Amino acid sequence: MDYYTQWKAMISSGEEVTFWQDFYVKFYQAFIEADRWKQYLSGVGTTLLVTAIALIIGIILGVTVAMLRTAHDQQLPGHRNPLLGVLNAVCSVYTTVIRGTPMMVQLLIMGMVIFASSRNFTAVGALTLGINSGAYVSEIIRGGLMSLDPGQAEAGRSLGLGYLDTMRYIVIPQAFKAVLPALSNEFIILLKDTSLITYIGGKELLYAAQGIYSRTYEAMFPLIGTALIYLALVMVLTWLQGKLERRLRESDRR
Amino acid sequence: MIVVKDLHKSFGDNEVLCGITEHIRVGEKVVIIGPSGSGKSTFLRCLNLLEVPTSGEIIFDGVPMTDPKTNINEMRQKMGMVFQHFNLFNNLSVLKNMTLAPVRLKRMSKAEAEENAMALLRRVGLADKANAYPSQLSGGQKQRIAIVRALAMKPKVMLFDEPTSALDPEMVGEVLEVMKELADDGMTMVVVTHEMGFAREVATRVLFMDGGGILEQGTPDEIFSHPKEERTQLFLSKIL
Repeated sequence: MDYYTQWKAMISSGEEVTFWQDFYVKFYQAFIEADRWKQYLSGVGTTLLVTAIALIIGIILGVTVAMLRTAHDQQLPGHRNPLLGVLNAVCSVYTTVIRGTPMMVQLLIMGMVIFASSRNFTAVGALTLGINSGAYVSEIIRGGLMSLDPGQAEAGRSLGLGYLDTMRYIVIPQAFKAVLPALSNEFIILLKDTSLITYIGGKELLYAAQGIYSRTYEAMFPLIGTALIYLALVMVLTWLQGKLERRLRESDRR
Repeated sequence: MIVVKDLHKSFGDNEVLCGITEHIRVGEKVVIIGPSGSGKSTFLRCLNLLEVPTSGEIIFDGVPMTDPKTNINEMRQKMGMVFQHFNLFNNLSVLKNMTLAPVRLKRMSKAEAEENAMALLRRVGLADKANAYPSQLSGGQKQRIAIVRALAMKPKVMLFDEPTSALDPEMVGEVLEVMKELADDGMTMVVVTHEMGFAREVATRVLFMDGGGILEQGTPDEIFSHPKEERTQLFLSKIL
């Protein structure tokens, strides 16, 4: 008979056990029994997948919205483009609505109203998170574009480069460097917010933990374990951010 | 080469340029002087449409710049501009700063553009800085590179917007030297500056601007030694 079964029996019969025996039993229950670690692992996989999909949606939406709004704001007086005006209004409604309502409510609306018939909760969750993130990313990027000395763009234009070329080669690379810390912040929040999709049935990391403690009636180990996994993931992201920042700082050499 | 007809420019209710008519010919070196707020920089920036005129016409190389149908990017390729604050692209090396536009706009192949850029850098004595970034350069070096960056496009005219005003006094000379050489090579130049020595030496014509118009113009000798207008006399007495 292995220690787990032996000590578990002691606990359930009310016998005295040491702290470490108790620890071992609960740890075993939370992670090892019935190969539960595999559930965490697949949860982490879903978490990372959802984060990646939401990240891509968020960046595409965010950059598009930021570019449209900046282009609209930078139009010369008397040369206003009506189409840009309409798009700007759409973008403005988008950021207002998304930033003005709680993430949880957005998730529930998407999961239980708009896609009520869908069984693919993970995809619905990723889509919602991406749409949500895009609104914040767009404001971060817009801030970066506005923070740049207008002389940089003017110099580009004075050489004959078009608006898009000037953005692509001069403005965006510099703005990106300026907003990298804020952007990393947003991505860290995004990674952690994936835990919310549990509530519409997305099978990510927290979902796995909840499934396990609802069976074992022991919540501490699954939850602490989950927290540690998130922490580790965020630390990896932070490390990557530092690496990227050092690389982008190449042009700051003095 | 550049014909300006009744140029007006307002920022909101503030009329900065009130009806300028001017003709800049090939090979001329026009220096614009005047008190701050007189509209010198705005006038210069209107020439390549960095500022869009409120009304009036600008014809460059026979093409009406102010016509909405004109491809303004194409026209700007023929007009180099140098800014007070250099505006080198901070994210690019010196060589990239100089080759981005010529290569991107298909004026030259990459190899050609680099060769051209290196030749220009040698001309201003900065060939060793080709791979440096703008943040590693002094103000005078930045401005000399900004000048050759504009020249890399082989422009027909060069516009200078107070090119030495942001420099430490000891670096002004090296930039003016480059500009003088450029003038000697026959480049058409329009220069807004407070460097009266440069104006006297290089200008073929000096415009004195005040209150959004050209108050007086003439050869450097006429303007500096025998100014007719009282306002010009007052301005010159303060700065000379």
